[in-house]
Amino acid sequence: MTRERSFSEELSPRQMLEVDACTQCGECLKHCPVQTVTGNPAISPPEKIRLFREFLRATDGLKARLVGAATVDPRLLEDFTKAVFECTTCGACGQNCPAGIFTQRLWPTLRKEMVKRGLGPLGPQPQMIGAIERTGNPYDKPASERYSPWLPRHVQVADRAEIGYYAGCTGAYESQPMVRGDVLVLHAAGVSFTMLPPEEEVCCGFPLFITGQHEQLESLVKRLVAGYVSRGVKTLLCSCPCCVNIMSRDWPAFYGAELPFKIRHITQFVVAAFRQGKLRLPRALHESVMYHDPCYLSRGVGVIEEPREVLRSIPGLTLLEFELHGLNSRCCGSGGAARKVFHDNAIAMGRLTIDEAVAKKADRLILSCPACYAKVNEAMQGYEKQIKITDIMELLASVLEEEPPCPALKKSCSGS
Amino acid sequence: MGWLIIVATYAVVGAFYVRLGLHALRWWEAVRRSPPSRPRGVGATVRAFVGATIDIVFLRRLLMVNPALWIGEWVFHASLFTVVLRHLRYFMNPVPAWVVWVQTPGWIAGFLLPGALLYILAIRLLTNQEKFSSPANLLMLLDVLAIGTTGILLSSRYRTDLAAVKLFAIGIVTFAPSAPPLSPLFVTHLCLVLALVLYVPSHVFSAPLVMMAARGRELELRQVLHDA
Repeated sequence: MTRERSFSEELSPRQMLEVDACTQCGECLKHCPVQTVTGNPAISPPEKIRLFREFLRATDGLKARLVGAATVDPRLLEDFTKAVFECTTCGACGQNCPAGIFTQRLWPTLRKEMVKRGLGPLGPQPQMIGAIERTGNPYDKPASERYSPWLPRHVQVADRAEIGYYAGCTGAYESQPMVRGDVLVLHAAGVSFTMLPPEEEVCCGFPLFITGQHEQLESLVKRLVAGYVSRGVKTLLCSCPCCVNIMSRDWPAFYGAELPFKIRHITQFVVAAFRQGKLRLPRALHESVMYHDPCYLSRGVGVIEEPREVLRSIPGLTLLEFELHGLNSRCCGSGGAARKVFHDNAIAMGRLTIDEAVAKKADRLILSCPACYAKVNEAMQGYEKQIKITDIMELLASVLEEEPPCPALKKSCSGS
Repeated sequence: MGWLIIVATYAVVGAFYVRLGLHALRWWEAVRRSPPSRPRGVGATVRAFVGATIDIVFLRRLLMVNPALWIGEWVFHASLFTVVLRHLRYFMNPVPAWVVWVQTPGWIAGFLLPGALLYILAIRLLTNQEKFSSPANLLMLLDVLAIGTTGILLSSRYRTDLAAVKLFAIGIVTFAPSAPPLSPLFVTHLCLVLALVLYVPSHVFSAPLVMMAARGRELELRQVLHDA
């Protein structure tokens, strides 16, 4: 008797326990941003786990082991796939789970299982594979345009240096003021840094990882690691939380060994540069700003204090906090590669972020994630509430430069 | 009737072990498939273990997210645990001193148990705070409530033949079954317990281990991108 593919195939031992450990208490629903904007319990975390337990019983239960696997209702599988892909994988459910289930990891694993079964990914997500093969990025944009629109000519990029900078696809193509701010700050700190040539700086793998499409990951990671090693990089800096997350947590697994360099978020570098006196701010900024913690930076890799320290170092700046911040921050809607499939959800979540910043009378909403930056800007288009949206490095660079950011750079709307 | 109860008890206990075995088998299959994980240092393991013990004993994670529900859940879990310990006297001969000592706390816990369950039920059904209540959980809650209520009645008002209960319990565990007392209240109490054993939620076994992993993960979060 041949056994049908088990639904547990992709789950780690810890995740097998996690599926069992859900008490179905529903505490997570109060923190799920998708629940907030859809109000649909059918796509809630406990319902997803309840359905997945049914699938597990069908292929691994007593009856399945004795007489063969039962057929799972295809409609249930479709509903489950939609639910697991509608999630932004922000991990707020896991952060507030009384049992401590690591959902920021569990949902992508369940997505991978659905992809293996040919049920996912959804919408334009499958096209990312071809796009990355052709151009190195999931947006299918030419590599020749990766740096040229935003990399200032006066910023020197070394051929070899101990500091490497990875711009990331979303920053380079969709949130250019952010990556421009990164390199301007690096330049102002007077450090020598290197970058891969645009055709070599390929996708970090996060969009593929998060949508359960793992086939290309090993080759992408090995290509990037080899590139940085050949340039003598000892510390790789990046401002994108998703890139930083996969680099620090998953690249070693795909690379097959510990990485030969450190991964750091750019705000960590900036804090160190301030402490070492490499950065000095020539002017004050008398504004109230509200900082939004990206899910994959705070809950993902624990970078919570450094962005605040960067902001507090700007003279005159008043830092406001969201009600949900730090480890409990609320997703802006752009996470989990769901923003282009479940667009309305993402816009509604982005508007919740805008609403709170406006209600607390912030002069600016400060973001530090290219996906948040693109989507929250998009959410503000045609919305009655308006606020300046600025990336943290864009803000710092503007204070350092004493000149406004380049207006021609791409973001979804001007925001001011 | 007596033999029927004996057969049902063995069937339910057998089903419980089969279910536990299947979960363990699935977990073991996942262990075999997985690459070896990086071992954690001794210090970190001890810190994770101590932290997780606090999380498990005091349900700390629930306290952080829902203090109103936590008090009910903690009293329920603690009193159920104490009541179970009190019942060990039926399965042991001679009865160890610590089981004798736990009889009075167990008797008090028997009264706290239904009170805590009614409180949880009220929070779940009567407040707008709860967005989600699993029907299976509610059914389980009602079952434990009925067990607690029949237990109180058995220990206070409609006493049954305790010697016969003990002979039945020891007979079950030593595979030398003896007929249980056939008082309707005891039979009802036993059947409700068997139903609970049959449908006991899997989180009873796995949640403590997951809490331990979560505590370790929280302690290690600072090490993902930080040197110290």
